Amino acid sequence: MTESNASGHPSSGPLESGNFPDKLLARVVTPGRQPRLHGYDVEADLAQHYSPSEVAYLAITGELPEPDAAAALDAALVFASPVSVACAPTHAAVLSQLCGANSGATLGVAAIALAEQAKSLLYEHEELLTWLNAPAAPFPSQFQSMKTEDRDAVERLVSALRPSRLVVPTLSHEPAPDAAVIAVLHACGLRSSRQIEALLVWTRLPVVLAEAFAETEANFKNYPINLPHYEYQEAAL
Amino acid sequence: MSSESIKLPTHCAQWGWDDHQYFGHSVFGDLAGHESMIGMSALSVLGRRLSKECCDVLDDIVCTSTLADPRIWPLKISRLVAAYGSTMPAVAAGLLIQEGARIGPWIAAGAAATLTELHNAINGQERNSIVVRNVVEGYLARHRIIAGFGTPYRDYDERIIAFRKCMLNRRRNELPYWRTMEAVINAVRDLRQIAPNIGLGMASSMLDMGITPAEVGPLATVLVQHMFVANAVESVKQSPALLRELPESHVTYIGVPTRTSQRAIGSVSFLHTRQSRNGKMASGQ
Repeated sequence: MTESNASGHPSSGPLESGNFPDKLLARVVTPGRQPRLHGYDVEADLAQHYSPSEVAYLAITGELPEPDAAAALDAALVFASPVSVACAPTHAAVLSQLCGANSGATLGVAAIALAEQAKSLLYEHEELLTWLNAPAAPFPSQFQSMKTEDRDAVERLVSALRPSRLVVPTLSHEPAPDAAVIAVLHACGLRSSRQIEALLVWTRLPVVLAEAFAETEANFKNYPINLPHYEYQEAAL
Repeated sequence: MSSESIKLPTHCAQWGWDDHQYFGHSVFGDLAGHESMIGMSALSVLGRRLSKECCDVLDDIVCTSTLADPRIWPLKISRLVAAYGSTMPAVAAGLLIQEGARIGPWIAAGAAATLTELHNAINGQERNSIVVRNVVEGYLARHRIIAGFGTPYRDYDERIIAFRKCMLNRRRNELPYWRTMEAVINAVRDLRQIAPNIGLGMASSMLDMGITPAEVGPLATVLVQHMFVANAVESVKQSPALLRELPESHVTYIGVPTRTSQRAIGSVSFLHTRQSRNGKMASGQ
């Protein structure tokens, strides 16, 4: 039961009587000046010798990528970066800008929508990730390219990967573009859904924001408000 | 895709000229002056209006579930984000984590699913303690945890005690899911020695209103959003530098020890080799 002091206000509760740690634990970045990331000096080492994508890989996996993996990572992340205004994250960010939101809010909208997009993509490719982690069975057919244009896109990814010399055996199974990107990221060393989700959001965020910031605030008359058209129905859907 | 196919149905709303539609109701004719804020909230989640009696129960949930101490984890998210001076991103951040989280209002959704399963298995025999115990025992054998039970840092949840009193006063303690809940609470106490939390009370009261387990999570979250608003608003007023960055002395690093990258090592040895060679050339060696 709650105790009360003379003024009638509660004087204590469960958080006053418990024994709790008094420090936060840092597992990745050392706090304070001259920070280290997973042990590496950010200013004197990483900033001088590594690219942003390599540092992102380090942050996510805990280790720096091998040179071949780093080059392949760059190619795959660039390949995965465009998100057109037709896609929900960019469309939502554009609407945010249109409504006159501040840049932080638009960035937040973009990040949330990109995170949802990436989570959904990895959920759809859960079976692929399982297969990539133990590729004993035949390649799951639902992740193969069904269209010529998809096969052409994957061919371009293969070309972009050539300088890296990273071997990605999955690409010989004619995967669809999304599956191909996931396979390359997996071959680079990203093994879990959330690692891949994090890097997909990271590479796509600037692109989405660029499209949003290109929109004019309150430009309502030029926005296709009936795209899509919502048909109101009184009966239950 | 043709323009004909760029179309989606909505049951939610339509913008009219002199009045608007909201879930089949005229906003100005049916809702304005007749519906409460809690009623509008229920309508928004359920797509149907609840009776005044049910809305009163939701009001009881809002009040008895109010535990808004800024130290509580999800609320602290709002506090931290608000430290930079904006209210709504802070509220949004706190609410963003709720869906499916292991703490917070969404636990009522899991409790509702569990209670529905147990209610169906008990099949109206909630007064038969042996039947209830067997059903609960079977459930516990199949599941490591039972949703709606357990409270952090205390042996009981004072919120469900207060909410139970409200349900008793409103004579809703004899409704089917509430009776099942009470029977299950007794069985779980005997078998696991754990007490129910407010999520279970929310769940059973909502199930007795005909609300489905899938609707419980969003509705429960709507009912607790005032706590996120309260914490965000106060934190914006304070905008405390302390929250923006805690003193270094309050953080302990337990990660990978200091190390040097291969490229940095290579660069140092290259520099060292070049400096040595230059030194030798300068000295004529």
